[in-house]
Amino acid sequence: MNWNTKDLQNWLCQCADRMIASAPELNELDGQLGDGDLGATLEKCGKLMQDGLSEETDTPADVFKVCAMACSRASGSSFGTLMAVAFMTLAKETNGKNALACGDVEPLLGKVLEALMARGKASLGDKTMLDSIEAIRLAAANLTESAALPKIAVAAASSAQEEYRDKPNRIGRARMFAEKSIGLNDPGMVAVVRIISSGRDQN
Amino acid sequence: MKKLLNNPDDYADQTLDGLCLAHPEFYTRGGESGRVIHRTGGAVAGKVGIVSGGGSGHLPVFTGYCGEGLLDACSIGNVFAGPSVADCIDAMKIADGGAGVLRLYGNYGGDCMNFDMAGEMLEIEGLESTTVLVADDVASAPPEEAEKRRGVAGMIYAFKIAGAKASAGASLAEVTATAQKAADACRSIGVALTPCTVPEAGKPTFEIAADEIEMGMGIHGEPGIWRGKMKPADEVAAEMLDRLLADQPLENGDRISVLVNSLGATPHEELYILYRYLAKRFDDLGVTVVMPLVGRYATSMEMTGASLTICKLDSELEELLHAPANCAFWRIG
Repeated sequence: MNWNTKDLQNWLCQCADRMIASAPELNELDGQLGDGDLGATLEKCGKLMQDGLSEETDTPADVFKVCAMACSRASGSSFGTLMAVAFMTLAKETNGKNALACGDVEPLLGKVLEALMARGKASLGDKTMLDSIEAIRLAAANLTESAALPKIAVAAASSAQEEYRDKPNRIGRARMFAEKSIGLNDPGMVAVVRIISSGRDQN
Repeated sequence: MKKLLNNPDDYADQTLDGLCLAHPEFYTRGGESGRVIHRTGGAVAGKVGIVSGGGSGHLPVFTGYCGEGLLDACSIGNVFAGPSVADCIDAMKIADGGAGVLRLYGNYGGDCMNFDMAGEMLEIEGLESTTVLVADDVASAPPEEAEKRRGVAGMIYAFKIAGAKASAGASLAEVTATAQKAADACRSIGVALTPCTVPEAGKPTFEIAADEIEMGMGIHGEPGIWRGKMKPADEVAAEMLDRLLADQPLENGDRISVLVNSLGATPHEELYILYRYLAKRFDDLGVTVVMPLVGRYATSMEMTGASLTICKLDSELEELLHAPANCAFWRIG
């Protein structure tokens, strides 16, 4: 089974809803180590994504492009820009396709990770959302049933978050408080779980 | 929070409104979101455009330095939050006079990411651009990791010198090289006495005891080198100067410009007390101070404290520093 343009549009609309709904929690969490604007950033990205996605789009690449433009307008916060980078990469990589198949997920996430590392200068193991995406990529490697993805992805991102809780942050503002970050969930990793949990609800 | 504001969420926008209403001859708002401030009159045809940008809360940095012989446009975010990629794109388009655009800003991860992305997106449209990062804060990383340092008050020297070079008709490559030379010539360090409050957050960026200071603190409250008991001004000035000299030694006969900058709340009186000590030290070293700057040039809202910047000059940098420039906060010639 595949995801067509409409499926992606619906799924991303639900992601946008969850981005807005989880804003207060993520602001609070980010305030412990960062500048406390992660929730506000996601809220802005979510609202602009909703606006963009309310219009008809032809292809998966168009859907991703709309999201990329929305996030690039949202704010100057790194997380918003990285979301724009991720969506831009997906738009580029899915260009010409009418639908996405199970086998596309793993290589697409690999490309997204490459782009995020190049732009954000973070590496795997730094305790960032990259580690969540990597966990999802690995879990999606043998995906055969598209309906199973939301559950697999949420489980992978949740266990990555657990795994990294007791490690120090190695990049960004939280790096300056590396010791303090031990034992705390990384706000970006929590955000990934919150955002994709809409997929689980859809299921 | 005790601030003269209407609504914390409107803080940055209402500041920009007031800035443009007070000084319409210098500043105009632009860009799709209104988060670009550019020179009134727009890009100068045939001149290399210079853009900067970052968060609000540092006036006169960034927007205040738009003007003749200085910057052409700035993208500006909320207080201590960077501008969006879209704002950076708009600023670059507005600054483009057909000779390319230099992106000249402080070394902060988010800003680098956004300006780089804006540059790549405009490259597709055929706009040629380059980057020079200001990374002058010696307290933010050791010399062997100098590229990781944050950009602070030294950026005003880079703005001034790059702006003069561009006004003189230099090419994008030449303006870029000179801007890089100016950025490389600057070393800065700050000391904080009390924190500031970001309006949107409503609480101080850090806590510090009434009798303590923090040496090396960044302009957003980033942790410094040490925190300890308050000291006499001369001792504070001595340590700041010694730390800069350890990083960039000065010799008899060198020529420098010096910026003693208020982080916001520290009055001119105290800046001059610091300068009094520094002037004697430079004299003892046989170093000539050209155009000393004492005042509020790069602030951190109402933070109390000061920063010291030394810009080591060669003949080109000195000449460009003296070239005419005009904005609401700085006029030369």
